[in-house]
Amino acid sequence: MRRAVLVILTSLLLAQHASLNAAQKPVLKLPLRPKSVRFAVIGKPEQYETAKQMASYRDTFPFEFVIMLGDNIYGTETPADFKTKFEEPYKALLDEGVKFYAVLGNHDDPNERFYKPFNMGGERYYSFKNGNVQFFALDSNYMDPAQLDWLDNQLPNANANWTICFFHHALYSHARFHGPDADLRARLEPLFAKHGVNVVFSGHDHVYERIKPQNGIYYFVLGNAGQLRVHDLRPSKETAKGFDTDRTFMLVEIAGDKLYFQTISRAGSTVDSGVLKKQSSASTGAAAHAAAAGSGYAGMDDGYR
Amino acid sequence: MLTLTVCWANARSQERGNLDAASIDNFEARVAEYVKLHNTAKEKLARLTPTDAPSAIKRHEHELTREIRGMRRQARQGDIFSAGISAQFRRLIGITMKGPQAARIQDSLQRAEPVRMELQVNAVYPASVPLQSTPPSLLLNLPKLPPEVDYRVVGDKLVLRDVEANLIVDFIPHAIP
Repeated sequence: MRRAVLVILTSLLLAQHASLNAAQKPVLKLPLRPKSVRFAVIGKPEQYETAKQMASYRDTFPFEFVIMLGDNIYGTETPADFKTKFEEPYKALLDEGVKFYAVLGNHDDPNERFYKPFNMGGERYYSFKNGNVQFFALDSNYMDPAQLDWLDNQLPNANANWTICFFHHALYSHARFHGPDADLRARLEPLFAKHGVNVVFSGHDHVYERIKPQNGIYYFVLGNAGQLRVHDLRPSKETAKGFDTDRTFMLVEIAGDKLYFQTISRAGSTVDSGVLKKQSSASTGAAAHAAAAGSGYAGMDDGYR
Repeated sequence: MLTLTVCWANARSQERGNLDAASIDNFEARVAEYVKLHNTAKEKLARLTPTDAPSAIKRHEHELTREIRGMRRQARQGDIFSAGISAQFRRLIGITMKGPQAARIQDSLQRAEPVRMELQVNAVYPASVPLQSTPPSLLLNLPKLPPEVDYRVVGDKLVLRDVEANLIVDFIPHAIP
């Protein structure tokens, strides 16, 4: 009798394990174009399961680097915390030579900029280029005139097809806990629009949200890779897609004038995906908004639904 | 670029107009004196460059803090933000926060994860407490600082913080209306 119960329990466990594995098997929705720029996006990273899922996806989507949207070492920040909150969870990726580019969040010691694995070069704000994409990593905690001046000077020098800015505080967000920073938006968005910034990634709110294009710019909020505020999102008409019931990370692929993205939960399911067309220099404001409102990825044919 | 430069030049002249020139000069001289002290303390230490070892970063921060504290044993609240300078800053912040940007700045302060805590000059800003972001419109209207120090908001106080040592250099109580 006991043996029979044991056999049934073992079978059930094996079946559950198999179904879990099946659920976690990466289902890639990105086209893997030759010579494309491939990267991942995380906010508040210290989460083993999310990191494991990222490593698992990297087998099918070999991304070269990860951008980190701040609160990189959340809570206490002793040397041991760098190990348990970053080096250990992301060991598999670090060992494979994946580079991480961080920005400072309000929970970060600004001296994190000297931590080599964050690739900040000792600076609060910096820029780097990969393929035909120029990235600007900003310090939204302290957007002083010197930084605004630097950005205004550097953006026109971005000799790339795509310009992407990333920083911690969101210019648009419909999460209840923090929400958007209107003053930051008033200072940054005119510069973004003036210099043709294409995409902006932010964290801070512990949710995922894709915003419909604002003034011709695509905005994403992703602050829930390691911390989550369940049901914190209050979607509005500006929300293209929101998700606040699990942790997520994003995979991004840029090829030519298309940006493909896939947002994946800790459990491995795709919660959002799509393709964004690079804005033409003439497409601003309402035109871009109308063109991409409610867009979703239509598969591999590069079209909008 | 030109527009922004003109805008900042205006802000600077507006700042000069709103904060009397003598107070600005006095404040800048006090900050320059502090930065000199900061650099003297830093010269005693090995230069911090990007490293794989977080312990080296923390050690540098602690050693710099210890050096600066040692050189400023008698530091008191008001050493840099004297009563006169504080009054001028309160007036300047009051004007900024009553202007057309007022609602935006207040909104920004509320959404930045506001913190409240007791402050002490020469104390380390606690690692467990988030660093509240400072609204950019407020920064545009305050006297410019060298990169060694920054302005931070804690409750209704305006803090002058040593960036690399993470040290509270001075603060103005009841600065934010």
